[in-house]
Amino acid sequence: MRDIETKSRKSELLIILTIVIASVPMILAFSLLVLSSFSEEMVTNLKSFRPTLENWINLFQGKMAITGSIRVNIFEITLNTLIVALGVAGLVTIVSTLAGYALSRMDFRGRKHVMIALLVLHAFPGVALIVGVYLLYKLTLPQDPDLMRFYSFFYVILARGALEIPMSVWLMKGFFDAIPWEFEWSGIIDGASRITVWRKIMLPLVKPGILAVALFAFIAGWQDIIYVRTFLIDQTLATFIESNIESEFSHMPLIAAAGTLYLLPTIVFFLIAQRILLQGYSGGLKG
Amino acid sequence: MLVMVLIFYLIPLVMTVYLSFTSMKNWNVKYLFDLVGFYNYHRLFYMFQHDPSFKAIVLTTIVFILITLVVNVFGGLGLALGTFFLSDIVGSKFRLLWLLPRIAPIAVYSLVWYYFFHETSIGTLNSILMELGIIHQPIPWGQIIPWGAWSVIIFVNGLVGVSFGMIVFTSALNQIPKELVIAARVDGASAWTISKRILIPLLKWHLLYVLTWQFLSLLTTYCHLFLLVEWNLVNRDYGTTLALYVYNTAFLGGELDQGLAAAVILSVIGVSGGFLTLKLLGFEKMMKRPRGDV
Amino acid sequence: MVRIRLENITKEFGDFKALDGIDLEIEEGEFMALLGPSGSGKSTLLYIIAGIYKPTKGRIYFDDGDVTDLPPKDRNVGLVFQNWALYPHMSVFENITFPLELRKVAKGEIRRKVAEVTEMLKIENLLDRYPWQLSGGQQQRVAIARALVKEPDVLLLDEPLSNLDALLRIEVRAELKRLQKKLGITAVYVTHDQAEALAMADRIAVIKDGRLLQVGTPEEIYERPRHKFVGGFIGNPPMNFLNGFADRGILRIGKSTIPLPKEYESVRGEVIVGFRPHDVEIGEGIEGEVYSVEHLGREQIVTVSVEGEMVKVIVPGDRRFEFGDKVRLKPKKIVLFDKKTETAI
Repeated sequence: MRDIETKSRKSELLIILTIVIASVPMILAFSLLVLSSFSEEMVTNLKSFRPTLENWINLFQGKMAITGSIRVNIFEITLNTLIVALGVAGLVTIVSTLAGYALSRMDFRGRKHVMIALLVLHAFPGVALIVGVYLLYKLTLPQDPDLMRFYSFFYVILARGALEIPMSVWLMKGFFDAIPWEFEWSGIIDGASRITVWRKIMLPLVKPGILAVALFAFIAGWQDIIYVRTFLIDQTLATFIESNIESEFSHMPLIAAAGTLYLLPTIVFFLIAQRILLQGYSGGLKG
Repeated sequence: MLVMVLIFYLIPLVMTVYLSFTSMKNWNVKYLFDLVGFYNYHRLFYMFQHDPSFKAIVLTTIVFILITLVVNVFGGLGLALGTFFLSDIVGSKFRLLWLLPRIAPIAVYSLVWYYFFHETSIGTLNSILMELGIIHQPIPWGQIIPWGAWSVIIFVNGLVGVSFGMIVFTSALNQIPKELVIAARVDGASAWTISKRILIPLLKWHLLYVLTWQFLSLLTTYCHLFLLVEWNLVNRDYGTTLALYVYNTAFLGGELDQGLAAAVILSVIGVSGGFLTLKLLGFEKMMKRPRGDV
Repeated sequence: MVRIRLENITKEFGDFKALDGIDLEIEEGEFMALLGPSGSGKSTLLYIIAGIYKPTKGRIYFDDGDVTDLPPKDRNVGLVFQNWALYPHMSVFENITFPLELRKVAKGEIRRKVAEVTEMLKIENLLDRYPWQLSGGQQQRVAIARALVKEPDVLLLDEPLSNLDALLRIEVRAELKRLQKKLGITAVYVTHDQAEALAMADRIAVIKDGRLLQVGTPEEIYERPRHKFVGGFIGNPPMNFLNGFADRGILRIGKSTIPLPKEYESVRGEVIVGFRPHDVEIGEGIEGEVYSVEHLGREQIVTVSVEGEMVKVIVPGDRRFEFGDKVRLKPKKIVLFDKKTETAI
């Protein structure tokens, strides 16, 4: 906020200091992880930082342990993670853009109930759902192994995406609400069909909203572990890290490197999408 | 959208409720029609009375939710107010930093704290304290029951939840006319007085909103806890909440049918909480009807 | 009560220069209006006096004390905002007592002061209400009461009337001026409404693009604008301007000529001539053609096209004009401006 300019700097410094102190463990913990990935030993004990790139090289070569021959394909794992994240992002974006428009602009019967339902669904315990969702998965899983793998991707995207739908729809509805009706009316008066109006007028105007929804859905898909480990047959970075902690053969700094790799998109978003992150969340949560 | 809601919310919901009345075990379809009535609920209640492990879980759930809720709401409020009084650029940098726990991949976030609270001298907390000479032996923080385990899970989840309150409060604060703050400044009010006398009273409804909403999400959150428990960082019983218990019984082997009963109980609390929130917030206000007859 | 002295005040917001070298003195007990179009920097100047902004360059003195670096609370100023900034969750009473509470004034003293100020503003029976239960005029009084209750040395008002409807505004402005004179308080009043400034202020400071164009009594500002902008901004309708050429006491405008008054006899070259719509007789002089006529009851505004430029003239309502009538205008009082600098000659 733009505060008075003549006030003493002291109180401001005090606030900054307090927040910084509160943030220290978080900053420390995250930076130690990243640092460890470049070190021969874990530096989480604040000692023994001996720089090396070996962890990263080993990670990309899939050498899980210093000795032995356990090998994984980290590229494939990363790709799996990416498929899930992109799938969730695409699905959520499309569905919520259409549904958000409908809820914002069309007065159909049951509209109100749909909106209430969406909010209540959002408050719904995911864990109660996942059990039922899993049973459904079990019942519909194809027998053919190749098809099974494909189906598991398909299913995890749908299931995880569904979890993001209620909030994203509300968010999109908010963005559509913000567009004056007059834009649409003038389009219709000029003889455009509703679909043309939607494509030519509304869509460009809600681009920031679409971007925000897509970003959040991507983050959700990327960070997920529960759905991935429950449904997906292939490994993602999340399950890779999950399963390699505390296993005797794994080299801890190498896991740190995997963690850092996994964290990378988050850091990228931090650098390029700060405004969307801060504003998008507030827009969606205001409802 | 409706189809997705149907497949991924309604059908599973019905299934969950239905299954909680069967003796479902290990996802074996043959139990699908083995109706047992309220037996699972009775057993759950019985376990609460006689099984120390389950008792610990219930207790943990209550303590975890209450304390984390306080941390979340007041942490979020503190951060929002604190950054509100800073210049926009500095303030938003801090807010961004505090989004990190929410946006970071769950596995990485948990991994970070796994190392931080690790029970050996590789754990950051242990090595700091040993360096300072406060302790001489590494302490397995998460295994000290109950408060060690509770502290760790509250800390880890507390940081995640803070950002929610922070963002809601920040956007609410930004809608308060700046003149109110400036006027108070001219009259000589400090940041603390302005917060206490003007800003917080104006945030009353948002506080309530964050409180109920955050309560619901804490009730149902389990993904971070899942990893902390699985990696054995925290004690199994005192690091598990009901939501995690449901997941574990369902997918890590266990009494699935009881887990389902617990899930239904959670859902009932969740849904009624959701409705309560809506009532409190005046849902009608948000329901602007579309204009025109197009 | 203090005298305020501003010395070379410059304020920059990043690359934007909001104020540029303002020098201004406001006398003790004076009612000074800061007048200018929106974005001129007048509010910025007020906030600098209040201590909300800090000038990039320059000093501010209250009497002889340098207050440039003092926060608002140490300057003892009362500030009334355009939107009044009443705390919505506090009753009128709480709103008014808030500044006193912050100063830790004793309870009895608070009661006495509130009674005094609310009686003066005739809001003593509104004390238990909340801002949203009040009309605009009432809210405005509460805002003024809150500013006055701490007995400030300076009362600063930032367009306090612009949120009121037109009729109420005229009523309130008379009252506000009375109140200020009664209290003898130094007041600085920001407005973009020239009528308001003319009606209320002892002196007016006209600001444009962060520069102070002219300071003077309403009469001086009205009669002898120092800058073409001042003439064009003040008065309704504002001053008329025509391009002309002055030579040896004669001013040529297009094909017509008019004699120049004595003080302008030595002027030679291209000039802009300015004259008030009231100060024109129709008869001999500048040739033009009636463009439109607006009747205002007792008088009428006739717009005359002179060489393609529009000139407004106020004439008694009983004369009839038709579109296209040829008329000749004779300005009784004129001001000449330099064509390039647009300042008065």
